[in-house]
Amino acid sequence: MTNNRPSGFANPWIQLGLNIICVVLYELLLKAGARATADPSKSWSWIGITGLASPLIWLAIVVIILDLVIWLYVLKYIPLSIAFPLSRLVDVLVPISCWLILKEGISSLRWCGIALVIIGLAIVAKPAARLEERL
Amino acid sequence: MTWWSLVLILVWLGTFVAGQLFFKRAMESSGVAGFRNRQTISILSIGILLMTVSFFLNLGLLQRFDLSYLYPFQGLSVIIVTLMAAIILKEKLTWRLTIGTLLITAGVVLVSMS
Repeated sequence: MTNNRPSGFANPWIQLGLNIICVVLYELLLKAGARATADPSKSWSWIGITGLASPLIWLAIVVIILDLVIWLYVLKYIPLSIAFPLSRLVDVLVPISCWLILKEGISSLRWCGIALVIIGLAIVAKPAARLEERL
Repeated sequence: MTWWSLVLILVWLGTFVAGQLFFKRAMESSGVAGFRNRQTISILSIGILLMTVSFFLNLGLLQRFDLSYLYPFQGLSVIIVTLMAAIILKEKLTWRLTIGTLLITAGVVLVSMS
């Protein structure tokens, strides 16, 4: 890797964190928008184009484009095989934020799944830390 | 689930994974040849096209299925992307990374099943 890693806000690891926040945000927006526009009676709605009727989907698209730029920036500095598994932190953050904010219940089996993801992330983060030393 | 929705889920995953690979290639190319390079732009465009297809398929699927039903498939994308990055992009796949990725995948599937 020949690029010098930028520091401060431009640090790719901070940008990876921003990317994760964007993904959580647009996943929730997409589901809300999709639910509002669902009409399975139309056969061609399989391609999802009917979702564009919802302003929530358009807001989600704005976040997705922002997220794309951030993600490309992250990929410039971090290998895909490390950045992508780490970006799946969203799979932990979505249920936990539903639990904290929406007061939704989390079953013990789900807590086990969350624990597994966190252990996996910690294991993946180790080669990431080594990569950081090399940069 | 009909065979048709299974096909759509597979195409959704396939375009998503391919899009990620194209993105990484585009950024590699931009590091060598710069952003206004023709090769960089075309690889990036293919990536964006694939991601757009994946996006609309995801939307169509979300209109029919619960997010919790679709999530295990999204969880699978972790293992597929990491594997493809090792095979196609020749990124180094250590045992540590493999085990971590498998645990994340198992965890995501468990979260969405419960």
